Amino acid sequence: MTQQSLPETFRLRASNFNLLVLRLLDPRPDAVLPSLSDQFRRAPGFLRFAPIVVGLSDLVAAPEEVDFRGLIEGLHALEIVPVGTTGGSPAMRQAAQAAGLPPLRTSGGKDEDGPVEQARPQAQAQVQPVAVAAAPAPAAPVVDFRGTGRAAMLVTDPVRAGQRIYAEGADMVVTTTVNPGAEVLADGNIHVYGALRGRAIAGAQGDTSARVFALNFDPELIAIAGYYAVRDGLGHAPIGKPVQTRLEGEEMRFEKLG
Amino acid sequence: MAEVIVVTSGKGGVGKTTTSAAFATGLAQRNKKTVVIDFDVGLRNLDLIMGVERRVVFDIVNVIQGEARLNQALIRDKRVDTLSILPASQTRDKDALTKEGVQQIIEELSKEFDYILCDSPAGIEKGALLALYFADQAIVVTNPEVSSVRDSDRILGVLQSKSKRAEDKREKVKEHLLVTRYDPGRVERGEMLKLDDIQEILAIPLLGVIPESESVLRASNTGMPVILDPESTAGQAYKDTVGRFLGENLPHRFLDPAKKGGLFKRLFGGRTA
Repeated sequence: MTQQSLPETFRLRASNFNLLVLRLLDPRPDAVLPSLSDQFRRAPGFLRFAPIVVGLSDLVAAPEEVDFRGLIEGLHALEIVPVGTTGGSPAMRQAAQAAGLPPLRTSGGKDEDGPVEQARPQAQAQVQPVAVAAAPAPAAPVVDFRGTGRAAMLVTDPVRAGQRIYAEGADMVVTTTVNPGAEVLADGNIHVYGALRGRAIAGAQGDTSARVFALNFDPELIAIAGYYAVRDGLGHAPIGKPVQTRLEGEEMRFEKLG
Repeated sequence: MAEVIVVTSGKGGVGKTTTSAAFATGLAQRNKKTVVIDFDVGLRNLDLIMGVERRVVFDIVNVIQGEARLNQALIRDKRVDTLSILPASQTRDKDALTKEGVQQIIEELSKEFDYILCDSPAGIEKGALLALYFADQAIVVTNPEVSSVRDSDRILGVLQSKSKRAEDKREKVKEHLLVTRYDPGRVERGEMLKLDDIQEILAIPLLGVIPESESVLRASNTGMPVILDPESTAGQAYKDTVGRFLGENLPHRFLDPAKKGGLFKRLFGGRTA
């Protein structure tokens, strides 16, 4: 379930692909490759020229112990095409990248085979422009976080009617208000330390664990991972209070904070 | 260098032109050399409010298109001699305005004047964008009602993204909130937005509050900026507003329902002058 952008001749379009993940359990190519080739001999053509992603989370080894170049060569010899990595420590991903395997980000913003809490902020610091699983072309301005070591976009001016701000692959922290007619989107959580009077869309790429926090909860619309509620449907929510909104299954919960 | 001030609101009918006329006159009364430009090409009104409609020969479009020199188009006010008006064209539309043309005019006016007031048309289209593009400061005119506040909020966003200062990444346009048509009685009855509610949304410094007043319509119809009417509460409020703009520390007046009319007047719907 990895998302990847492929360059067309003239245009760049985001697209979703189902990819197989090869989760490495052993750092040595000469141990992995023979058993791999063994398995594929039993299912000939099954993986021929198939792109796969190398999963690094289960690997118990230091980055310098892993021979990524050898692995890539070996996979090519088996007519398997590794396209990137997922999970693993930043150092591990960096080692893989040096060998030509960029880290990919899964569409939910979390790594399928890695601990969520760790993977998200780290992924931000590590993502390289080419390797980033592209979001559906955002219509909103996007702030570049690479190199800042931060996985949150900080908004300090009031978000005004007609404005739309998108924190791609990150949380958003708004220190003032989101006014009626404004829209804030984030792939992660949204925090508003003022009044939330416009629209808030968290988990914009489908992360159902994303939440919306607001000191003064008074939104026009609130959405998490595609589930949404308009103001008219918020009758039972504590309007005007500090509230966190989260998904529980398919149900949106509004809980008073503090 | 002159200071360029745009009077804007997003929404129509909130009092931009009334404010432009009063504010420009007020600045000129303080001996500031002031010119006010009508950007509402096709729907010009400023000349009427200023009472100079019979003296218009050339307009801003003529100047941009090289058919007249700027000095030929400028109309000098007969009441306050430090005040000039550059009228809009009635027969063209906003496409006749160009960024380069407006820039040339503003640069030329800068040499002669202290303040250049740009009276913006309503909307967020070309005329409004050009009116605010060169602004150093903005007076955002807002009525105490939700649609006006929403539109002002929108135009504040535009100011911070589409003005020349924003494009050049210079210090941002200085914003001032001017609440007009404020009726303390109706605010008290909950029919109008409270000042606090407006400020909470727009979150910019309050420059002034102009009370709803019948004298405004009378002033418009007689072509005399309301600030020249010493009896008018609106005129006095505009005078205070100009003072505050020039750095004076003046309290906001006319925020409470008029009491001096007494119970009788209030019972029978007395209004402030």
